[in-house]
Amino acid sequence: MLMHVIHMGHDVFKANDKIAEKNRKTLDKHGVFSVNVMGAIGSGKTTLIEEAVRHLKDKYKPAVIAGDVIAEMDASRFRKLGVPTIPVNTGKECHLDAKLVEKALDEIDLDNTDLLIIENVGNLICPVDFKLGEHLRVVVVSVTEGDDIILKHPMIFKTSELAIINKVDIAHAVDVDAEKMREDILSLNPDIPVILTSKHDWESLETWISFIELGLRRAQEAQRK
Amino acid sequence: MHEYSIACEIFEQVIATAKAHEALEVRHVILEIGRLAHTNPEQLSFCFKAIAEGSIAENAEFIVEMIPPSLECECGYTGTVDETQIGKDDDLRSELLEYIVALECPVCGKNARITGGRELIIKSIDIETEIEKLTSMQANI
Repeated sequence: MLMHVIHMGHDVFKANDKIAEKNRKTLDKHGVFSVNVMGAIGSGKTTLIEEAVRHLKDKYKPAVIAGDVIAEMDASRFRKLGVPTIPVNTGKECHLDAKLVEKALDEIDLDNTDLLIIENVGNLICPVDFKLGEHLRVVVVSVTEGDDIILKHPMIFKTSELAIINKVDIAHAVDVDAEKMREDILSLNPDIPVILTSKHDWESLETWISFIELGLRRAQEAQRK
Repeated sequence: MHEYSIACEIFEQVIATAKAHEALEVRHVILEIGRLAHTNPEQLSFCFKAIAEGSIAENAEFIVEMIPPSLECECGYTGTVDETQIGKDDDLRSELLEYIVALECPVCGKNARITGGRELIIKSIDIETEIEKLTSMQANI
């Protein structure tokens, strides 16, 4: 059988990365610091973002992109806080991609925004391969997911820049050792900061929020230069 | 599971390239998939078949080459992961995890930066055009 070979060399993920880079440039141009919050269903992403927005909205101008299979429910929680919120329905898709974020950015008044928090679809696998153009990649994991969850999903911990172990107040009840989870994260990614949080422990939430603020301030300084 | 949307993207790219070269049929799609990419080749092939039904690529066969992770270390080392080490540790039953454990620099032992092994590349396609069809018909006479 005669055949004819056509070389293509088309990288599917690189095509996404290119749009992500474009998003990043758009955000940088407007001095917007962006955070991509990833994590499993029920890990507490929405609550952690709510707390951050509630605390930062008087000092800064946050906006939220709420990504979900049906995004409207989380979006309404953020809207109640009075911040611009763009729901992004992914339909059957298990992650946000750069193209979806690019479209959402069109709907945000970036001149009046300095912090963009993107809540990814609840999933520890699929979001890993899709950059969005974010400045900070955060992975949230809760003790209820079991203390073997981290080693089962190594790539997301390897490629994130901040890890949060959430719901540590109930670790004992679900027979999970949060410290083992921290060690597992550090074994995969020794340089990543790990924060243990609980929605009932304000101090722990403050650590998470101060992390965002630090990034925000750095971005603002870079903008001034 | 996001193989379906990736398969859609592959299908679009393959068909556009095949048509630009006046293909009558796409015989093979050669892919390079990084070991660290979260993409299952079998699911991808299954989704592609479903999407390609009725098109010139409906009988296309997927040929997948897996790419080992490549590293870059601050000590100056660059190279790929030593694949002979994979599968040696009985405690680690996940291949992905074994690859990640192997992401240490083989020279200094530090955690190295991943520079490759996460890609999903449509490397090439094998197509049949009018010319090949006629030539093979002549050869059969």
